Amino acid sequence: MFKIFKNISKSLGGGKATESKPAAKAGSLLDKVNKGAPATAKAEPPRTPEELCGITPKMPKDEIRAQLKLLFRRYNRSASSLDAKLRGEADKMLDAIVQVREKHFGEI
Amino acid sequence: MAEHVGIDLGTTLSGLAYLKPDGNPEIVPNADGERLTPSVVFFDSHEDVKLVGSAARDGGEPDRTIFQIKRHMDDPEHLVEIDGKKWTPAEISALILSKLKRECSKICGDITEVVITVPANFNELARKSTIAAAEMAGMKVRRLVNEPTAAAVYYAHSQGVKGRVLVYDLGGGTLDTTILEVDGEHIKILTSEGARHLGGSNFDDLLLEAYADQYKKQTGATLYSDERHRRRVLHATEDAKKMLSKLQRVNDTVANDQNSGIARIDLTRDHFEKMIRHMLTRTVFLVEQALDSAKLKPSDIDHVVLVGGSTRIPKVKTMLEKMFGKTPKSCGNVDECVALGAALFAKKSARIQEVCNASYGTLAMVYNAKTKEEKLMNSIVIPKNSIIPCSRTQVYQTSEDNERVIEVDITQGEDEDAKFVDVIGRITLDVPPNRAKGCEVAVTFSYDENQRVRALVVDKQSGRSKEVAVTYKGAGVLSDEELKRRSQHLRAMRIE
Repeated sequence: MFKIFKNISKSLGGGKATESKPAAKAGSLLDKVNKGAPATAKAEPPRTPEELCGITPKMPKDEIRAQLKLLFRRYNRSASSLDAKLRGEADKMLDAIVQVREKHFGEI
Repeated sequence: MAEHVGIDLGTTLSGLAYLKPDGNPEIVPNADGERLTPSVVFFDSHEDVKLVGSAARDGGEPDRTIFQIKRHMDDPEHLVEIDGKKWTPAEISALILSKLKRECSKICGDITEVVITVPANFNELARKSTIAAAEMAGMKVRRLVNEPTAAAVYYAHSQGVKGRVLVYDLGGGTLDTTILEVDGEHIKILTSEGARHLGGSNFDDLLLEAYADQYKKQTGATLYSDERHRRRVLHATEDAKKMLSKLQRVNDTVANDQNSGIARIDLTRDHFEKMIRHMLTRTVFLVEQALDSAKLKPSDIDHVVLVGGSTRIPKVKTMLEKMFGKTPKSCGNVDECVALGAALFAKKSARIQEVCNASYGTLAMVYNAKTKEEKLMNSIVIPKNSIIPCSRTQVYQTSEDNERVIEVDITQGEDEDAKFVDVIGRITLDVPPNRAKGCEVAVTFSYDENQRVRALVVDKQSGRSKEVAVTYKGAGVLSDEELKRRSQHLRAMRIE
């Protein structure tokens, strides 16, 4: 992996900005990234906890376990994000993660 | 003067301890004679007085009473409005700290410097707000220390243990888990993980729903219609929860405020444990996450230590016993050990090695040589669990010709996906024109003992550089000037 530092405003906008721009307030970039990410806010039919967690019917147990751990780490941190929308999403995801665990590995 | 003072600024209860001349910590009671002070503030409408503690909690005017302000310390936009005046979470916390300082100093001597505990997963903003609260209350923060670290220090001091310890701290509002190594007086923190909004008050809310359901079934009416009555019932559910830690079955009688009759509430421990099962499963995830972070298995842990009032729930103990194959030990008084440990920490901090609680980095386009794909990612400069204080540098390259401005975002979070990290600051550096792409830019992050981060950006070719400490903006964040002004105002307030 080779890391390239890139002016973010260009990389997201695609233009060749040569003028210096005032610094955006913290958090604004995150908003842009959210908009660029696959849409999750569209009106969709309710999804099952498995679907939310990306668990497929034939997925082996150890893969499910690894996926749940990854998602828990991600969304537990997101629950204290500065982004209120992400905090709300995190709560729903944490509920789904717990439900999938209980279904596949039993109750505590 | 009290030299080594520790304060546990808790979600539901706060406590202050100092180190006695014999080297043992002791809790200092407030002027109401209580060892722990409820973290509740009441703004009286008749007199210019702010009540803090039990009197505030039991007062009865909910729209003038502030509960659990700690849950909002990381929210830059949170404000509380009373009589047209807007209060930030730091100011409300300062009122609680002021009561502790004013009243406890009459017993243990003047208090000027303190160690304050914070949840392990408190972010940068919440830590900064905690320091601001102490300053407004007239105290300098010698160090912030994570709550489970403080509890572990007390446990090691009082039990004389050696080996790997896992602290499971389930308090009123948060869960923290820390793994550390203890060898005599030396303590090495390996990792800390935390979960927000996971604690005893969440369990109370679930019990409140059970009360409301049973009331509805028996009387056909709703149990509460306003916040005042909801608070009263919530108080009853908290008592029922405590009883269920000792008894298998608890009965209570409740009425609403509309004369709809009395209902007999019947609760069993089994039912309560089913209610909170999902939340306890989250705590298991967090413990596993801590073990993974430290690259350890449950069998590598020598001692499991319980901290926080919610660890009195029997299911918590059995769940951890099943997981670790050993009986968890209580950290003495589970409600007081964090404050006691903070006082010990004030003296012993030089012998305690702590780690960075979060990863810090920047957003960068990362080129994958294998897939030939370029993707915007969170590029970590300081990884979580780095020993602190620390400083790390990562060199990046500009990717376009004639870049005039280099913008470096400061991120907090360990996820590679930029969507799941917080951008907590940005450095903008003007660089000379007409340069080809590929100019090297060194980004250095420094992390201090209070878990605060600074960033330095150096354009290697021109030598131009800029350094910043992270600053936050938002309605709920005070500027330095405003902080000074409000500190003076707060010190003149009547707080009881």
